[in-house]
Amino acid sequence: MSLRSPLGEALGHGAAKDGVHHWRVQRLTAVALLPLASWFAVSLLAMPAHGYAAVAAWVGEPWTAVLLLLFVVTAAWHSQLGVRVVIEDYVHGRAMRTVLLALSGYLHVLAAAAGVFAVLRVALGGAA
Amino acid sequence: MAEFRLPANSRIRTGVTHEAPPGAREVRKLRIYRFDPSSGQNPRLDTFELDVADCGPMVLDALIRIKASVDSSLTFRRSCREGICGSCAMNIDGVNRLACTTSLHDLGREIRIYPLPHMPVVKDLVADLTQFYAQYASVKPWLQAQTPPPPDSERLQSKEEQERIDRPAACILCACCSTACPSYWWNSDRYLGPAALLAAYRWIIDSRDEASGERLDALEDPFKLYRCHTIMNCTDVCPKDLNPAKAIAEIKKMLVQRQS
Repeated sequence: MSLRSPLGEALGHGAAKDGVHHWRVQRLTAVALLPLASWFAVSLLAMPAHGYAAVAAWVGEPWTAVLLLLFVVTAAWHSQLGVRVVIEDYVHGRAMRTVLLALSGYLHVLAAAAGVFAVLRVALGGAA
Repeated sequence: MAEFRLPANSRIRTGVTHEAPPGAREVRKLRIYRFDPSSGQNPRLDTFELDVADCGPMVLDALIRIKASVDSSLTFRRSCREGICGSCAMNIDGVNRLACTTSLHDLGREIRIYPLPHMPVVKDLVADLTQFYAQYASVKPWLQAQTPPPPDSERLQSKEEQERIDRPAACILCACCSTACPSYWWNSDRYLGPAALLAAYRWIIDSRDEASGERLDALEDPFKLYRCHTIMNCTDVCPKDLNPAKAIAEIKKMLVQRQS
């Protein structure tokens, strides 16, 4: 039982002076993903063959590699922002929320790093 | 975690049925949520068969009729019976609305009436709105200005300036919007909810108010403001046809715009 006043509860610890950056970047990455994701899907569908050599040659083209890198990083960033909101919405235990938010951050960085490495390796001819 | 099932002592059981009086002409079944904290029992759903031909046209008329002639222990809030006090907000057939402005003729033969969702229940259809009112108070819903008012008149507004706040200021604090919002259900301990944010917006855009900056500062928070995910149940259910969702979007816009 708490004898704290309802207004005290409502005011809480005040405003965290945060949220605008999240909101802005979430929208900016969404707008960037529209052309990037469309380009990625259309390019895959338009490819004559989907064998390793054909795809590796496509990834090796300079603009393809650059756009793929942007796509991987932007998608991971956007996903991280979205998953963060889901965790904040539904996980109410403070310790559990802190752990999950950190874990989600690490996993997204891992996914982005793996994606970037894969694109670079294929594009720069490291794997034959 | 979010709760997807009611706690054991809140689960609703079947209640008693009050049959229609003999000779009833137009019988409607009202299934009404009943809870008496002093009984120590779970809430139950009572059925009242009511002759609506012998009753006023609105849901509130039916409730008053039941209280007067069937079960005087039925508890609900009401005052103005014309949609301006906001007392009789409740969940009627799954939608938050005012009992006094909801016509029985727009509803089916069976009508389900519950208190406002996801709030502590005081008794029957009366929800505990203490936290809701405290959140409203926390946005300081009054004029704040450093400039003293003119000595011989009130603070003036142009017609256009008044029109900007005319609709947002028409909120009657019935709580239909906030208690229809899933974000408010899951996080009402930290999210202010559409009603309080609409009130904040009403003062932020008031041409006479000089605390817009402080008001925006106080809302710049991932939980107080940004739990709104544009679900728009608030605007959907508002019995005064106001648009809290748009007000919240405008606040978010102002927070971004003042950065660049």
